[in-house]
Amino acid sequence: MTSPLLEVRSACKSYDEGRIEALRGVDLSIAAGEYMAISGASGSGKSTLLHLLGGLDRPTSGEVLFRNSGLGSAMDLDTYRSSYVGFIFQAFHLMPTLRAIENVQLPMLSLSRSRFDRAARARELLSELGLEHRMEQYPNQLSAGERQRVAIARALANDPQILLADEPTGNLDSVTSARIMEILTGIHMRRGMTLVVVTHDNAIADSAARQIRIRDGKVEA
Amino acid sequence: MAYQLSFSGFVWRNLWRRRLRTLLTLCGIGVAIGAFVGLVGFSSAFEQAWLRIYTSSGTDIAVIQRTFLNTSVDESVGAKLRALPVVAQATPMIYNVMDLTPDVNALAYGWKADSYEFESLHILSGRRFSDGKPEVMLGDLLAEDLKKKPGDTLEIQDSPFKVVGVYHGGSALEADAVIMPLDQLQQLSSLQGKVSTFHVRLRPTPPGESPEQYLKYAQAQIEASLPTLRAVPAAERASNNEFVRLAHASAWGTSSIALLIGILGIANTMAMSVFERTRELGILRALGWKRWQVLMLIQMEAAVLGLGGGLLGIALGWCALHVLAALPQTASIVSAHVALPLLAETLGIALLAGLIAGAVPAWRGAQLSPVEALRCD
Repeated sequence: MTSPLLEVRSACKSYDEGRIEALRGVDLSIAAGEYMAISGASGSGKSTLLHLLGGLDRPTSGEVLFRNSGLGSAMDLDTYRSSYVGFIFQAFHLMPTLRAIENVQLPMLSLSRSRFDRAARARELLSELGLEHRMEQYPNQLSAGERQRVAIARALANDPQILLADEPTGNLDSVTSARIMEILTGIHMRRGMTLVVVTHDNAIADSAARQIRIRDGKVEA
Repeated sequence: MAYQLSFSGFVWRNLWRRRLRTLLTLCGIGVAIGAFVGLVGFSSAFEQAWLRIYTSSGTDIAVIQRTFLNTSVDESVGAKLRALPVVAQATPMIYNVMDLTPDVNALAYGWKADSYEFESLHILSGRRFSDGKPEVMLGDLLAEDLKKKPGDTLEIQDSPFKVVGVYHGGSALEADAVIMPLDQLQQLSSLQGKVSTFHVRLRPTPPGESPEQYLKYAQAQIEASLPTLRAVPAAERASNNEFVRLAHASAWGTSSIALLIGILGIANTMAMSVFERTRELGILRALGWKRWQVLMLIQMEAAVLGLGGGLLGIALGWCALHVLAALPQTASIVSAHVALPLLAETLGIALLAGLIAGAVPAWRGAQLSPVEALRCD
């Protein structure tokens, strides 16, 4: 049996000096190239789990391993995020002062790539996502769907192995949501990337090859 | 290719985004740096004017008291100085600041009538004064200011002095000054038998010895012979005499206060910027930016504010010096020319001010937890 790409072992996460327990002993394995949906009610701990998977946070106890290396111990979280993970957020989180093409270049500034390469890569990604005519627009000149496509291009900028999406369709209408999910699953299949989507939407959760449900900080059986 | 995003480009966009605040911060640091350029430029010009007094007369060494406040030297020291083999000439002098009219005060020098210092003056009209007589010579700028010419009388501290000559000096500090017999100024200053300093011309440097070595040797000889006094090379004396020291101290003191206010302005701007951009900084961290890169981003923004303010300040200081150089009251001392080392020093200080001001906000920005920052509205 091949070892998992990501593994969560007995992860607990609490806030406010232990008064709030967001995760309570989560165990989870994610294989390379897997498409997994994490669903659950608001406040169930699904976003907290996504943050741990993405190296944005550390568990209060337990551990998260990437290719058997402990995140935050054997592997530096900054390096993990910049080289292996791409994030997509519900609220897009694009920089308002940067054009679409510049927003896509932002993650690449953390790595040593030439300016020319960065711009060429951003152009290529935006074209792939059907935004070749919108590259020079600022976020406020784009529709919600276009903004999320720019955010997807930005998440792909450093060619990550894992794509983590936190409610990626939460701010979109149903037609645009379907288009965005089509893009994400297409990327997952074409590139063989690991895709983890946090969602409220049962239809999206059902579209994933594997679905887990979080309830009160625990993975439901 | 168009729209290539660089780190510095991102810095610029962040500053441009809040243009009014950026502009106001630039003005704050610019005024501080402008004050620095103007005041330090003024005090440097003042120092240069003193240096010209020494260089134009060929003075090598000034002999003064070792203490700062008690600046009077016994006049009888002159004989001992002249007896030293290294000394070619030694001339006593007093300098003081005197009220000539209710509106005009000027530097007053007391010289001997046979002082070699006269060699640096060009007498435009009249003649040299005589020792023991109530006579004065006026610098051309002062004569114009007082509207006096040879033959006129000038009241100094209720005593009438006859203007016997008008001269042009090698230094602005002489052109705007009055020179009178040493004994007369001793009497006016209640310094009978005392002088401020002795100016010394050394004998020519012996063959095979460097001027610097010879100067040091002469200093040692004079100080060994007169242990209570200091023999100071002319260039050093020009930069550390009481007037210049006070000018430098007040220039640096005033501009330091202005600079501190400028630094606080940048620090405030950067702290507000970090506070307002908390979520954006969290996004950058989520996108893989390392702590040091966030720190660099904020520090570079602060450095750009410092440098921008520095350039603005240089322009303001340059304008201020031009205005001072054009005013009749200060024209003789102030030069509109700003020396390159002062410009480099100013830009260095401005950059340092930006970095100091940005240090704490940058550190705080870099320490933000990505998750906490992303939750921030």
